[in-house]
Amino acid sequence: MKRLAIVGMPNTGKSTFFNRLTGSSSRVGNWPGVTVDLLSARVVLGGNVIEVVDLPGIYDLHGFSDDEQIVRSFLENNPVEVYGVILNATQLDHQLPMALQLSQLGVKTVVLINMADEADQLGVRIDTQALSAGLKCPVALFSARHGSGFNEARETLSTALEQARPVSLALLRKELHADDQLVEYAERLIQQSVSAPTRLVRETTERIDRILLHPVVGLPLFFLAMLLVFQAVYTLGAPLQDSVAWLLEGFRDMALAPLAKVLPAGLYGFLIDGLYDGIGTVASFVPVIILFFFFMALVEDSGYLARAAYLTDALMARLGLDGRGFVMLLMGFGCNVPALMGTRVMRSRSMRLLSMLVIPFSLCSARLQVFVFITTALFAPSQAPLVLFGLYLVSFAAAFLTALLFGQHLKSDEPFVLELPPYRLPVLRQVLLRGWHEVSHFLKRASTFIVTGVVMVWLLTHYPAGGTIGGEGTFANMLGYWLSPILDPIGISADMAVILMFGFVAKEIVIGAIVAMTGLNGDALNGYLATQMDSLQAISFMLFVLLYTPCLSTLATQRSESRSWGFVSVSVAWSLGLAWSVSFGVYQTARWLGY
Amino acid sequence: MNKGPNLSSLLKGQRATITGIHAPDGIRHRLQAMGLRTGREAEVVRRSRLGPMQVRIGSVNLIMRRRDAARVFISLSPAR
Repeated sequence: MKRLAIVGMPNTGKSTFFNRLTGSSSRVGNWPGVTVDLLSARVVLGGNVIEVVDLPGIYDLHGFSDDEQIVRSFLENNPVEVYGVILNATQLDHQLPMALQLSQLGVKTVVLINMADEADQLGVRIDTQALSAGLKCPVALFSARHGSGFNEARETLSTALEQARPVSLALLRKELHADDQLVEYAERLIQQSVSAPTRLVRETTERIDRILLHPVVGLPLFFLAMLLVFQAVYTLGAPLQDSVAWLLEGFRDMALAPLAKVLPAGLYGFLIDGLYDGIGTVASFVPVIILFFFFMALVEDSGYLARAAYLTDALMARLGLDGRGFVMLLMGFGCNVPALMGTRVMRSRSMRLLSMLVIPFSLCSARLQVFVFITTALFAPSQAPLVLFGLYLVSFAAAFLTALLFGQHLKSDEPFVLELPPYRLPVLRQVLLRGWHEVSHFLKRASTFIVTGVVMVWLLTHYPAGGTIGGEGTFANMLGYWLSPILDPIGISADMAVILMFGFVAKEIVIGAIVAMTGLNGDALNGYLATQMDSLQAISFMLFVLLYTPCLSTLATQRSESRSWGFVSVSVAWSLGLAWSVSFGVYQTARWLGY
Repeated sequence: MNKGPNLSSLLKGQRATITGIHAPDGIRHRLQAMGLRTGREAEVVRRSRLGPMQVRIGSVNLIMRRRDAARVFISLSPAR
């Protein structure tokens, strides 16, 4: 099977082209020599099945950024018959050298000039024949958004693939290390084949930027936009999550449970309460991931994400993060999982790792549920909101502290230079595909880990023997007692320690676990909580819950996104340590002061 | 030490010709690849009070931190 690799700079509509070419059949996968997932798909071109690979957007084949190294090592380790270089028709002066770099490697290159429609509007005229002659390779001009010229581009690729023979990788490696003087040649070629106004000024974009990047109103508008996106994702997401849970529960009660009744009790519990609930945990994330990436794709594709970086960079630069990390941190207040996945927009690995270390401290909606429950049970109605507000402040403080501390070690020496693309209307199809890709990525990479974790906690709280879940005689209960030397000083009882183990799986099940353990409900449950802890212990407990590991799914996502258990260990150790220290400090100080 | 004006000192609306980039190889390479090449004209579109600035080079708009802009040396273009 022949292989076609799509390369190009960021903001050239590379993914739009890829998606138009491949439809929704693409999937993420591993490649030799490459440390990140790449999107690829099999399509039929000119009667043959070929494999299309979408490489990360890069500015330079010889650069030193993480993505540039990824592309180079992909080229060096995977045979490719044809390279499709996507160029932005409105920026040919800037982009042509990359096409030259590739065609000079001696590999079969097809130059795909995208955004023909925009170039037309801006008065850019491109002589494709002159370009083709100068580049010594086929050139196609089209618009991937609207589809004009796309069939011709497809034809061009198909013809090139038919003629192409594999290139020796050894030769390619040698060539990759030596070429120069392309820039001057590119400039001569541009003069011969492209006529464009000397300064391309996009009136509409300029006008919008005058408001959205305004020194005074820009930042408030940014927060407003974030609030809207946030509200949209999580107000739409919550009922969807509920209905997924409702469906799964219905299926269990109506179909699974009666069928499984014939099984011995132990196996029944394992299958229905362990395994099936684990699958339910995974499924509950699906709606919110889809919605999250639907709206993030709107923010990103419209060009606003780069503006957000501009607006928040002054603060973020001091923390060693960039503005896009801040957007993800804010979104983490809904759910950490998609926010972690969203850090992929940051292309420098060290900056991504730092953002992924910080995001778990965002007080997500699942933790909020627990806090609302506890504060209403143990605090006066006038105090409860203040306690909640205080927890939000601690959440921000922990995030900033983490960024400051670890920023030193994960310092990125990459310059912060970001292209500011013109505003564009997002393409619906593109936005939908994004959500689909992210969900399949999550299911593929994180589901096994989550299900295993849920099953393990189920085993801990049900075995070896016990009347109540997590009660006397279970592993969890023993663990709770073993941990008491550590948890006593922060005012957490052994029973509450078992609850923390449930909370490790998902904060959503914490309240359910308390109900299951005690068999109490409503006022009786509130009364029980009051016997378990006073208000100071409650504060200590909530601080601990806020800061220690958000949930199993967050860990699974950190692991799948960083591809490093070492990173996950550091993150867990740091958040556990911080949680304990903060709870200890607050609890002991307050006790000492006589509370 | 390098003397002479650099991109970070340009005010909003000012234009200048890039004369060179003084930075370690990797960073210089990166800046060049993004369009900051010797001989090209750069215009400062806007500057934020504490944060980055927006620079236009031909058809490309970039946002960059002042620290990075300070690596790009310029000669002021005649006023037009």
